[in-house]
Amino acid sequence: MQTKTISDLQISQEATVQKVIAKEPVKSRLFAMGIVKGAKIKVLEHTLAKQTWDILSNNTKIALRQEEARQVVVQ
Amino acid sequence: MNKQIKVAIVGQPNVGKSSLINAMSNAKLHVGNFTGVTVEKKEVFVKSDLFDIKMTDLPGIYALNAYTPEETVAKNFLLNEQYDIILNVVDANVLSRNLMLTLQLLDMHKKMILVVNMIDEIEAKKGSIDAKKLSILLGIPVILTSAKTSQGIDEINKTIIQTYRAKQNDNKIYYTQKVEERIKELTKVLQKSPHFKDKDYARFIAIRLIDKDENVYKIIHDLPIFIEAHNVLEKIYSSLTAELDEDSTVDILSNERVAIAHNLHIETVNIKEESKNLNEKIDNLLIHPILGLPIFLFFMWALFQLTFVLGNYPMNIIGDIFTYTATTLADILPNGTVNSALTQGIIPAISAVVMFLPNILILFFGLNLLEQTGYMSRAAYLMDGFLKRFGLQGKAFVPLVSGFGCTVPAYMAARTLKNPKDRIITMLVLGFMSCGARLPVYILLIGAFFPTHDAGNVLFAIYISGAILGLIFAKILRVVLFKGEPEPFVMEMPPYRLPSYKALYMDLWYKTKMFLKKAGTFIALAALGIWFLSTYPHNSALEKSYEIKIQHTKNIQIKKQLQNELSAKSLEESYMGHIGKFIEPVFKPLGFDWRMSVSVIAGLAAKEVVVSTMATLYSVGNASNTSKGLIQKVRENVSFNSAIALLIIIMIYSPCVAAMSTFYAEIPQWAWRAFYTIYPNVVAWLFAYGVYRLLSAVGH
Repeated sequence: MQTKTISDLQISQEATVQKVIAKEPVKSRLFAMGIVKGAKIKVLEHTLAKQTWDILSNNTKIALRQEEARQVVVQ
Repeated sequence: MNKQIKVAIVGQPNVGKSSLINAMSNAKLHVGNFTGVTVEKKEVFVKSDLFDIKMTDLPGIYALNAYTPEETVAKNFLLNEQYDIILNVVDANVLSRNLMLTLQLLDMHKKMILVVNMIDEIEAKKGSIDAKKLSILLGIPVILTSAKTSQGIDEINKTIIQTYRAKQNDNKIYYTQKVEERIKELTKVLQKSPHFKDKDYARFIAIRLIDKDENVYKIIHDLPIFIEAHNVLEKIYSSLTAELDEDSTVDILSNERVAIAHNLHIETVNIKEESKNLNEKIDNLLIHPILGLPIFLFFMWALFQLTFVLGNYPMNIIGDIFTYTATTLADILPNGTVNSALTQGIIPAISAVVMFLPNILILFFGLNLLEQTGYMSRAAYLMDGFLKRFGLQGKAFVPLVSGFGCTVPAYMAARTLKNPKDRIITMLVLGFMSCGARLPVYILLIGAFFPTHDAGNVLFAIYISGAILGLIFAKILRVVLFKGEPEPFVMEMPPYRLPSYKALYMDLWYKTKMFLKKAGTFIALAALGIWFLSTYPHNSALEKSYEIKIQHTKNIQIKKQLQNELSAKSLEESYMGHIGKFIEPVFKPLGFDWRMSVSVIAGLAAKEVVVSTMATLYSVGNASNTSKGLIQKVRENVSFNSAIALLIIIMIYSPCVAAMSTFYAEIPQWAWRAFYTIYPNVVAWLFAYGVYRLLSAVGH
């Protein structure tokens, strides 16, 4: 089965984080922002070319690049 | 003298620490820098009957895993400095996320107070937070505050004193059994070392080690127990990850903290989920995939219009006042060195510093406003996709565009970039953005060598090619000098908030003070140096002979002519003239004569000086670029190819001393200062030479 990441989601789609596969220091930063296993997230917006993503998690809005969005596996 | 209580204020970014500090009455604020880094250090002093409280506001940190230089500063302070109490500030709106840091801080087992800020926003939503219960669960005092309504602010000092006098509370936060067993095991090993006799400290170090904290790992690395501790640690890493089926113990501890924070949240926070609020409606517009960018560009346009159009008025007034003072003094004081040094050296030098203040103040007011309302992170979000291609970060857009106005505030605007690599690269390419002061030079050269109907296009081409060159160089610098992984971009976008005017004004005041103090000394000294070089040595024989000639003519026209000749000859014989002649060989391949060479060097003082120097050296009336005389003279004396080469030099080479001083003040590393001083000049020469040869080859 192919893994689904944040970068596969549509605007206003919700999902649950399964795993953060990023390396340090991105991983700890994502954790500190509340993007952890089991966290519910929602895609609020992305730029036209999907280069940058705006995610809502736990009442916090977080901007991610596509590279980082690909490293968060969701369900 | 009263006893001093030292408090460290810690919190995640955007929890409103600054507003909280500004809301404290009878507090004295002192702003400086942490030693050796350009990270702002705020200290707050409060006097009470028995105690003096000294609070150090540490830069915002998301976790104890340091990442940016600001976080490193905060972490080093927490781990190594002497202080009595940690004042942990959290945002009531995102309590569970903020509690993740609180839990890490609690591991330190120091006296601690939790300040739950922005409680007014929860209450406005008819929600509440049970401070008593939270206090019991965490085992530390909890205060609900709001900087906006001043709620709870007075309680902070009282609680600090009470906590200082009270005994240390017992630890109430424990991880799950599997993790706690490992912590105990490692703590025992650590306690064998005299460094970790204190059980609580040993426990903290053990947790940090299991959390793979590299700084803490370095602490134990040189101790005799290192091998034993290391072996136990490795065993813990493998057994824990295997048992709990995770990649790393970092994940495990993070999961545990999330669970604890989540439970604390459920136990103490009572809030109804609200529907789509105003905040999201604003965001729907401001970061709209299509509309977001034009709106942002409009904001930027408005800000720069304000900065450079509005700022122009006070700038002119300041300039006039200083010129008036200088000329008046020149008449009053007896002729001589003191007169000359004061009226032609010192006063214009100070003027050059103060003149930039209006620009800086307006630009910074705007930038602070954007930062405090939360819009800045949206701007970074919008621009990141484009700038990423050139190895820059979204936030770099603001300083880069400011560079078209004036490089001095642009360098200071680069402070919004928290990552040191991003900041250095941005500052190194900022000079490619042609600042306003270069415009007169462009106008002069374009006027002399291009037909009027082409002038606009040529000018536009100059600005655009400068910007493109800057982006290309950013990419080159990123690839060559900062090899390896690209910088990650994970950024919180705080909710939109109305700015606190006190915080806005305080920040502006401190920025002004710092600019005057740091850049002021550099700029004034540099300007003084250039004045000295272009005034000395005096040739009194020459001056006398001209004075006599001037006195003997009645014709005002000829008088002026003679005066110009005198200043041209004096400049030629000054140190500056010698320098110009000395470096003439460098510019020879570009077809420059010594006069052009001197003008280029003089341009280091300020770019407008290029025009006035050329006017003096080619001896034509008033030093103004609009004067037909100068354009005529330049056309007669300078070849087209050399003029283009000069244009390219002006576009690329080092900015003025004011800008350079600001760079030196912002970047403490000598290697970068040296690189910054040399490379634009080399690049400028190479480009100018290339184009010069190319033009010659095609038969110009």
